[in-house]
Amino acid sequence: MAQPKTAVVRSDLDIVIARTMARDLAKAMSFGAIDQARIATAVSELARNIFLYAGTGKVTVKEIDKSGRKGIEIVCEDQGPGIPDVDLVMQDGYSTSRGMGMGLPGARRLMDEFDLKSQEGVGTRITCRKWKSS
Amino acid sequence: MDSLRIPILKIGDILIASIQVSLHDASAVQFKDDLLQKIYDTRARGVIIDLTALDVVDSFIGRLIADIAAMAGLMGTRVVLTGLQPAVAITLVELGLELPRVLTALNLEKGLSMMQRLTEESDDGPA
Ligand SMILES: Nc1ncnc2c1ncn2[C@@H]1O[C@H](COP(=O)(O)OP(=O)(O)O)[C@@H](O)[C@H]1O
Ligand SMILES: [Mg+2]
Repeated sequence: MAQPKTAVVRSDLDIVIARTMARDLAKAMSFGAIDQARIATAVSELARNIFLYAGTGKVTVKEIDKSGRKGIEIVCEDQGPGIPDVDLVMQDGYSTSRGMGMGLPGARRLMDEFDLKSQEGVGTRITCRKWKSS
Repeated sequence: MDSLRIPILKIGDILIASIQVSLHDASAVQFKDDLLQKIYDTRARGVIIDLTALDVVDSFIGRLIADIAAMAGLMGTRVVLTGLQPAVAITLVELGLELPRVLTALNLEKGLSMMQRLTEESDDGPA
């Protein structure tokens, strides 16, 4: 299995780099075109959130294996302000920046597994996975 | 870094912009501003935005496209999107973003004939 890859996010250009990195791994793992788009789009949303709300952070992508089933895991972490109310931010349309408020709930829909851990003043860590349909 | 400018062509009273690169946020905003300015300056009756090369349309770009369509509409200009990849279209819907009131066509050629029909129709209005 390939080594995990990490992209540091501190500008809007890094959002493109992070999503391209995720798509490249998905492609190398022969995910289909639609899954590649889902994965790249989810990473685009999460990386933009790092850039917008935490200023800086990182995105790591890696191949995972659960009893023979292959998947991709994406971890997005930052040491930003954290999220006080996780249920609230997972609602469609909730935004503190006059955004669409579709990033987090949308990324959850696009991926198979989605886990958000956040602590105010400490940071946010989102782990999401997509499994290959066998 | 300077943002890449997306060329906007004028053919008759139609503007055509083909996005050929992965857009980062600043270049996308620049594109929106350039396009709206050009619509205003040329009084174009239609705009075709070709997205064939875009492999990701996230909520930021999605909103930007919806904004362009809404503002162009206020200036009386029709917007047709062409070349939206099927995977991108599906992802947009799953993301929770639909583009109501935005017309789409399979490719640039079909987009052009759609635009011609649309602008001719509006010529036939009551005198
Ligand atoms: N990494 C993060 N750190 C702190 N707050 C965040 C982070 N990601 C998201 N948020 C909060 O969650 C809200 C919803 O995010 P999202 O669904 O992506 O919508 P949007 O970015 O359009 O506001 C944001 O407005 C912000 O308040
Ligand atoms: Mg967001």
